[in-house]
Amino acid sequence: MAFLGVAILAPLFSAAQKPPNRANMCNACHGPNGNSVLKDMPSIAGQPKVFIENQLVLIREGMRDIPQMKGVLDNMPDTELTELANYYTSLKIAKPPAQKQAALYDKGETLSKEMRCGICHLPTYVGREQMPRLAGQREDYLLYTMRAMQANQAVGRDPIMIASLYGISDEDLKAISHYLSRLSK
Amino acid sequence: MNTPLSIRRFKQLSLAVSLSMSVLSAHAQAPAAPAPAWKQGMPDAMATSTLAPLPGKLTATKAADVPINRIKLPPGFKVEVWADSVPGSRAIAQGDGGKYYVGTRPLGRVYEITDNGTTRTSRVVIDKLDQPTVAYKDGTLFVIAVDKVLRFDGIDKNPTVAPVDLTAKFNLPPEKHHNWKYIAFGPDGKLYVPFGAPCNICEPPSAEYAQIRRYNADGSGMEVLARGVRNTVGFDWHPVTNEMWFSNHGRDWLGDETPNDTMHRMKVGGHYGFPSCHQGNLPDPDVKRPKPCDGIEQPVALMGPHSATMGVKFYTGNMFPAEYRNVLFNARKGSWNRTKKIGHDVVMVRADADGKNAKVEPFMTGFSNEGDQSWWGRPAYLHQMNDGAMLVSDEQNGVIYRVSYSK
Repeated sequence: MAFLGVAILAPLFSAAQKPPNRANMCNACHGPNGNSVLKDMPSIAGQPKVFIENQLVLIREGMRDIPQMKGVLDNMPDTELTELANYYTSLKIAKPPAQKQAALYDKGETLSKEMRCGICHLPTYVGREQMPRLAGQREDYLLYTMRAMQANQAVGRDPIMIASLYGISDEDLKAISHYLSRLSK
Repeated sequence: MNTPLSIRRFKQLSLAVSLSMSVLSAHAQAPAAPAPAWKQGMPDAMATSTLAPLPGKLTATKAADVPINRIKLPPGFKVEVWADSVPGSRAIAQGDGGKYYVGTRPLGRVYEITDNGTTRTSRVVIDKLDQPTVAYKDGTLFVIAVDKVLRFDGIDKNPTVAPVDLTAKFNLPPEKHHNWKYIAFGPDGKLYVPFGAPCNICEPPSAEYAQIRRYNADGSGMEVLARGVRNTVGFDWHPVTNEMWFSNHGRDWLGDETPNDTMHRMKVGGHYGFPSCHQGNLPDPDVKRPKPCDGIEQPVALMGPHSATMGVKFYTGNMFPAEYRNVLFNARKGSWNRTKKIGHDVVMVRADADGKNAKVEPFMTGFSNEGDQSWWGRPAYLHQMNDGAMLVSDEQNGVIYRVSYSK
C-alpha cells in the first residue's frame, strides 16, 4: 500500500519541482539546483520560502545591495519571485563536506549555543520563515556574510542580526562558520 | 554614514548571563563595545526559547485573497478592503484631493494612493529609503526615514516635485534599531518625532534616544518633550484637552506576562522609565538603579504584555455612534515574545479626559485564532477619514481596510 501511495504521488511531486524559467539564471551563480560551488556564494536550495522571497524582493527594490545581482531582477513581478522561492525551498541542500576540524567544530558548536543562534534559526539551525537556514551553508559564505554584517556592509539586512554580532571576534566567527557548514540536517 | 563598531559607545550591561570567556577577553582592551543583542536582557531560563519576530510579507496581496469575513466588529460596523497591493503599508497620511500617502518599513517605499470615491489607484512616490514614514500639511508631504528627512513641497499640485533634503536640520542619531518612526503634526502645527531606544534593553549610548521631540516644520526649534520612552509607535491629541497621548512598547524577554505595553499622556519634561522602570511600576532586572520607578510618569492604561501597541486615533467623526466619540482607538500589531499570542486587533481605550478610569475593550478582531495560535493579519496604523470612517493599515497583507458604520 505504501508503495502504491508513493507511485501515485510521484508525478505530482516532480511537477511541483519543475524549474521556473529564470532558475537557470539563478543557478549560474548559486550552482546546480541551488547548491553553490563558488567561493563566498551562498547555496539557496532548501532555504525557507519566506526568506528567499523576502530577499528577492529586497534585492529587486535595491534595499539589499548585492553588486553581482544589480539589475538582474528589475521589473520582475512578485508572482515570479514567489515561484522562484517555492522552487528553491523545495530543493535539497547538498551533503556537507565530510572533512572537519574537530577542535574548531566543537568551539563553533559551543559558541552557537551560547550566542543563542537557535532561538531564531531553530536549534537544528535549519531556519524558518524569514530566518535563513544555516545548517549546511557554505563555510566561506557564512564567514563572508557575518563579516559584512559586522562591517555594516550588509545593507538592507535585519539590524537584530547585525546587533547579534557586536564584539564577536573573527576567530569565533570562523569557528561558528565551520560548525554550521558541517551540519547535514 | 556608518559608524565603525569600535568607536560606538554602548555601555556594556552587567548581566548574569553565562558567556564564554573568549568573548569577554577578546574585548577586554577595546573601549566600550556594544553588547550583542543576545546579551540584552535575555535570561538563561529562555536560552532554549524559540520565540522570534513574526515574518513579514513583502509581496502584493489582492483584495480577493484577504479573508475579510473573519474580521469581527461590533454590530452596525462594516469592513472592506479599501486599498490592496500596497505591500508593507503602515503609516497613513491624508493629502488633498483624494490623495493619501503611505509609508512602509523594509520595502523602503512611500506610496501615493488616489481615491476617486469608488476605486483606488496607487503609485510609488519614492523608494529605497530606510523605513520611511509620512506626515502631510498644507500641500506638503514630509517623509522621515531612519537617516533622512525629505519635504515634497506642493506635491498636491506638482506630483513629481523633487524633494528638499532637510536631514541636516533634524539632527538624527545614527542607530537604526527602534528608530523607524511614527510622526504627526500636532494642534500647535509642530512636527512630533520619536527616537526609540536602539536595543531591547540597554543604557542608551547617548542621551538622544528614548525621546519624543517636536520641531518646527523646517527642522528648527527642536525641543525634547519626553524621556525614557522606549519606543512609541503611535500618538494623537485628545479632542477635549489637546493633550498628546501615546503608545509605548515594553521590552522583550521578561516573560509572558511582563512588562505591559502602555498608553500614556504626555507630560512635557516627564520621564517614562526606560531603561530602569517599565509600565510605571516594574523595576528592570538588568539595568538597575536605586528607586527606579520614583517620579516616573504612570500609564493611562496597560495595553497587554508584548502586544505591540501601535497606531493611536481619538475618534472625532460623526459616522460612528455617539458612544464612540472621543474614544481612543489603538491598533495592536500582535505579540512575538510571548508563548501565547495577544494583539492582532484594534482595541478601544475609554477613559476620562484626565486619563482616569481607563478601560480597554475589543473593537476589531479576528486576525488571529487563540485555539491554534495562528494569525493572518497585523493592524498597524489608523486614520480617520473626512466622512468619519476609519482606515486601518494591515502591514502583513499590505492592504488598507475601511471601517464604516450605518444603522
